[in-house]
Amino acid sequence: MNDALFSQLSTLGSSVILLYGFTLLWRKSLHAYTVAFQWQSIALTFLFLIIGYFGHDVELYYVAGFLFVLKVLILPRYLGKLEQRFPGERESRPYVNVATSLVVAGLLVLLAYAITRPLVLVSDLPTRGGLPLAVGLIFVGLFVIITRKKALTQIVGFLVMENGIALLAALGTYGIPLIIELGVFLDVLMGFLVMQVFVYHIHDTFESIDVDQLNELRH
Amino acid sequence: MTWLLVVMIAGYGIGAVGALTLGRSLFVRAAATSGAIIGAGAAFILGSANLLSGQTLTIQISDILPITGFALRLDGLGAFFLVVIGLLGVPVALYSFGYSAAYEGRYSLRLIGAMLNGLLLTLSLQVMADNALTFLLLWETMSLSAYWLVVTEHDQPGTLQAGGWYIAMTHIGFAALVAMFLLLSGGDAMSTSFAAMRANALTLAPLARDAVFLLALFGFGSKAGVVPLHVWLPMAHPVAPSHVSALMSGVVIKMGIYGLLRVTLDLLGGGPAWWGALVLAVGTVTALLGVLYALMEHDLKRLLAFHSVENIGIILIGIGAGLIFRSYGLMALATLGFIGGLYHTINHASFKGLLFLGAGSVLHATGTRNMEEMGGLIKRMPWTALFFLIGAAAISALPPLNGFVSEWLVFQALLGGFNIPVPEVAVAFPLAVGMLALTSGLAAACFVKAFGISFLAIPRSHEAEHAHEAPLSMRIGMAILALACIALGLAPFSVVPLLGGVLAGLGGLPDTRSVFTLDLMVQAPAGFAQVSPTWIGLGLLILLALIPLVMRLMHVNRKRRVSDTWGCGRIGQTPRMEYTATSFAEPLRRVFAELYRPTKELSIDFHPESKYFVKSIKYSSRITPLFDRVLYDPLLRLIQRISRQVRRIQTGSLHLYLMYVAVILILLLIAARWF
Repeated sequence: MNDALFSQLSTLGSSVILLYGFTLLWRKSLHAYTVAFQWQSIALTFLFLIIGYFGHDVELYYVAGFLFVLKVLILPRYLGKLEQRFPGERESRPYVNVATSLVVAGLLVLLAYAITRPLVLVSDLPTRGGLPLAVGLIFVGLFVIITRKKALTQIVGFLVMENGIALLAALGTYGIPLIIELGVFLDVLMGFLVMQVFVYHIHDTFESIDVDQLNELRH
Repeated sequence: MTWLLVVMIAGYGIGAVGALTLGRSLFVRAAATSGAIIGAGAAFILGSANLLSGQTLTIQISDILPITGFALRLDGLGAFFLVVIGLLGVPVALYSFGYSAAYEGRYSLRLIGAMLNGLLLTLSLQVMADNALTFLLLWETMSLSAYWLVVTEHDQPGTLQAGGWYIAMTHIGFAALVAMFLLLSGGDAMSTSFAAMRANALTLAPLARDAVFLLALFGFGSKAGVVPLHVWLPMAHPVAPSHVSALMSGVVIKMGIYGLLRVTLDLLGGGPAWWGALVLAVGTVTALLGVLYALMEHDLKRLLAFHSVENIGIILIGIGAGLIFRSYGLMALATLGFIGGLYHTINHASFKGLLFLGAGSVLHATGTRNMEEMGGLIKRMPWTALFFLIGAAAISALPPLNGFVSEWLVFQALLGGFNIPVPEVAVAFPLAVGMLALTSGLAAACFVKAFGISFLAIPRSHEAEHAHEAPLSMRIGMAILALACIALGLAPFSVVPLLGGVLAGLGGLPDTRSVFTLDLMVQAPAGFAQVSPTWIGLGLLILLALIPLVMRLMHVNRKRRVSDTWGCGRIGQTPRMEYTATSFAEPLRRVFAELYRPTKELSIDFHPESKYFVKSIKYSSRITPLFDRVLYDPLLRLIQRISRQVRRIQTGSLHLYLMYVAVILILLLIAARWF
């Protein structure tokens, strides 16, 4: 009974997290991306708490706490600042349009199911149902980075991909050791700060935060 | 002896940290120098103690490096090279105190001081490395610290390019070394300790052993500067600060020799005759081409760098002969060959170190490396001239200096070649003798040029006219090495048995300490030759004393006259009328024109009124280096062509690059799932 509930809850949570990932594909305003990422992180926090509760792992509560502080409070705040710094920037013309993006993303999730099938078959974890969704989220994040032009969108894409990896780790192993988790958080924060600096520099150089202008740097 | 090791590491460490942290530049230089002197001094004592006692020092620190730990073991071979490092390290450190003063405000003294200590530290530990990971780690650190020292004068033209060549060549060699150690570690067991490799080498297939040897020759050869891998040497040595050039030429390239001996003789335990023949052939070509290109150089430090190539060749001739004799079981002759090679290694370190320091003093005083702008320096810097002359005589193998002894030993080893029962092989030896003799002769000619043009006659430029003697610290540094040249030349009877002890047991070589006795004579084991540089030196001294005596007896007029040199009856003598380095080398340029392919350019500017009045004549001549023409230029063109093709996928679009990553990731996942 307990296991069945745990299994359903974790699959549900993973689905919600993946759905927030899809949000990036059909919205065009940068603000919507920040909000989507924030909600996704909240969902991820809850999922960590759920796994911690059912898996009897106190460490995951701490991880959830850190996750909440970093990805729900700090990063969206910085993202908001970036938005205000560049008002009027919209993801108006991505390389792949919204309809096609959704189809491709759907196919990527199918691919994730196909790829993780052997793993799901041999696994006896209650959380195994969420594994394909986590891999799918990683693919979707990567897809966002590839097809979207604004530097800010790409940062959010990267963060979403990172959420996918964290989700995969939590579902697959019930949480990696706290010290590694902390290292990953620090990594994300540093990566984000570096990218933020780059966004400012790109804007200073090209008067825009379109990444596709970077190919002018080739000589 | 462990405490000596600790003193050594602490010395270098204090030197490096002191140089980085102290404030005033005087203190920075003093810290770097004293740290390096303590470290190199301890290295010298540690090496000598080990050589004399024959004990082996083993230290294993497992926490520093993953998997294998940091393993050090000092045996005879390592101890010998440690002595070489210490012997050159102390004077170089002392010299750098005075020499780097000129760098103040232009380049970072801290970096120079710290890197000098770092380089000496890695060099000293390199010869003790006892597993592959330790060896490779130190090898890489050594290469990188040497690189930073080479590019010290980064704003001068050509420096960064030279550094680039050096780092590229050393890394190509490094790749070969990694492959070599992987082969030696033997696939599945993957044991990287040298002891395991020694055992493993016996069970390797002959083809794998050959591959290991060839990789070692290539990898270590690129560090030693073996033709055709020598191209970085004449570029990197001249642009480095002179004390660094001395260190590079004296010990860094010797690490190639050390590695080659360690792997072929110690780890592999010797091999078939063709290994030795290959080393002998490579050594002969290296020696001859090195000296031939040195003859054409008028840049004093480039000239010395080409001579390093030449001397590496001579060392390899000794080692190659040793390997051949060993494969035919002629152990005494084999030992003689190896002893010749090793002896020449320490000799080259001392006289080439001395010559580079001398060239550095000249550069310090005149600001130029071009010999055509020097001249008359013997009157302005007598000490430097004396030391340079000692070095030049030593490298030209004049008795009773050290170059003579080691070249004599190599010659004796080669002359023993008739003992080999196979005629094809035995024939190769006289050929090598001829080449080596030609090399020695040309080297002497080259140093007549180097010393004569730089130090004699009247100054050719304003800078040379106002040259000044080097400061005390630099003179002491040179004096130590000059004394080493003399001592190593006069006392081979005590050095040769020590080298015999170094080689005893390596690759099945016998203990020859009793064969080469503590006699005043050094005797070739074949029993047909012996020499005593001590007696030669004594004889020369007596001869020198006889000259004034005879003059007195013959009532020669001893009054001193001061006047101009006779100049064919011309009224005034100007530096323009002097013999130049170019003209000195001209006959050889013609004789070896096929090799040099010289290009000449003569442009005469006439007076507009009449063709009989010449306003100016411009003459320039340069040679095309053989290996640039036939090897490196085509190779570079090929790489550039491939790179241009590869650039097509490098569009500059970030999205496309990310796309590559994603596609590869997905393809890999699919492959892992279904294939």
